[in-house]
Amino acid sequence: MSLFHSLSVSASGLAAQRARAEVIVENLANSETTRTPEGGPFRRRDVVFEPSPQISPFAAVFQTELGSGATGVSVSAIIEDTRPPDLRYQPGHPHADANGYVAYPRINPAEEMVDLMGAARGYQANVAAMTAVKDMLSKSIDLLR
Amino acid sequence: MLTPLTQDLGRYMDLLAERQRLVASNLANIDTPGYRTKDIDFQFEFLSLAPGAKPRVVEPPELTVKNDGNNVSLDRETRLLAENAIRFNIASQLARAELRKIRMAIEEGRTA
Amino acid sequence: MTPIGSIPPIRHPDPVEPLRQSAPAGAAAFSSALAGALEGVDALQKNAESEITRFLSGEAVDIHQVALAHQQAQLSFELFLQVRNKFVQAYQEIMRMQI
Repeated sequence: MSLFHSLSVSASGLAAQRARAEVIVENLANSETTRTPEGGPFRRRDVVFEPSPQISPFAAVFQTELGSGATGVSVSAIIEDTRPPDLRYQPGHPHADANGYVAYPRINPAEEMVDLMGAARGYQANVAAMTAVKDMLSKSIDLLR
Repeated sequence: MLTPLTQDLGRYMDLLAERQRLVASNLANIDTPGYRTKDIDFQFEFLSLAPGAKPRVVEPPELTVKNDGNNVSLDRETRLLAENAIRFNIASQLARAELRKIRMAIEEGRTA
Repeated sequence: MTPIGSIPPIRHPDPVEPLRQSAPAGAAAFSSALAGALEGVDALQKNAESEITRFLSGEAVDIHQVALAHQQAQLSFELFLQVRNKFVQAYQEIMRMQI
């Protein structure tokens, strides 16, 4: 229907990948955090993506894009890892339990880095889409001259 | 339309714009679980679509489905992104040339 | 005189040629031919205006569609002007002849 609408779609992709990257970065920063304000070790978090129709800010109020097929994306939830924490035997540690085990987050930095690269790649793909669409819009405007 | 050629070029650009919208949608959802790639059957729609009607959105066959049900291929979408933009560029330049030609013909008639 | 019901497609300055070659049939033929051509121009103008309005009010209209509609309306109007001027010229020549 309208190329402008696809800018909203790409923008939603940028936002979603950025949110994903932020969550991953927090996981990485807290990969060794054994105590949080809520008690217990830091729990790894993950984003859940869902297709989500985007309304362009300039769209007519009654206009919906549902019939057109093109849909953006949004983060529908941020979920916590429910797996039991990684227990390591460290009797001298201030957070050690009665048996000398310290609960660590179940976070693998290598996995998180790969995930982060995926988020960066996804982000870049949406930037490329916006650039290509802007170019087409610019060519369309040239037709008026 | 003044000429069949500008009409064809207009329709070509309509379909390219529609296709590019779907590419943008696919790229936004490249990591969305369960999302299937969207496209249009370009050649078919160009030959048969009535002017003003919307093309049918289809799922391209033979795309690899990942574990989470998503089948978007970054390579395919990136390639389409570039190709659609280039073709659109070509069509708009051809349309401009055609319009220029028509305008010149009209102005020529004035002095004849 | 070939009556003009719709604007023929342009290839060369040809559309202007028939005016010089054919004989006029009277004032009535002139004005009805012009009126027919004007309807076509008007339709294209209205189409261009509606595309612009739809675009401005946020409907799903692509810029290139607006641009093409505008250009067609513009060109058909310019052509109409040229055709009308030729008509008027030819008519005035004939009126001079009859005196």
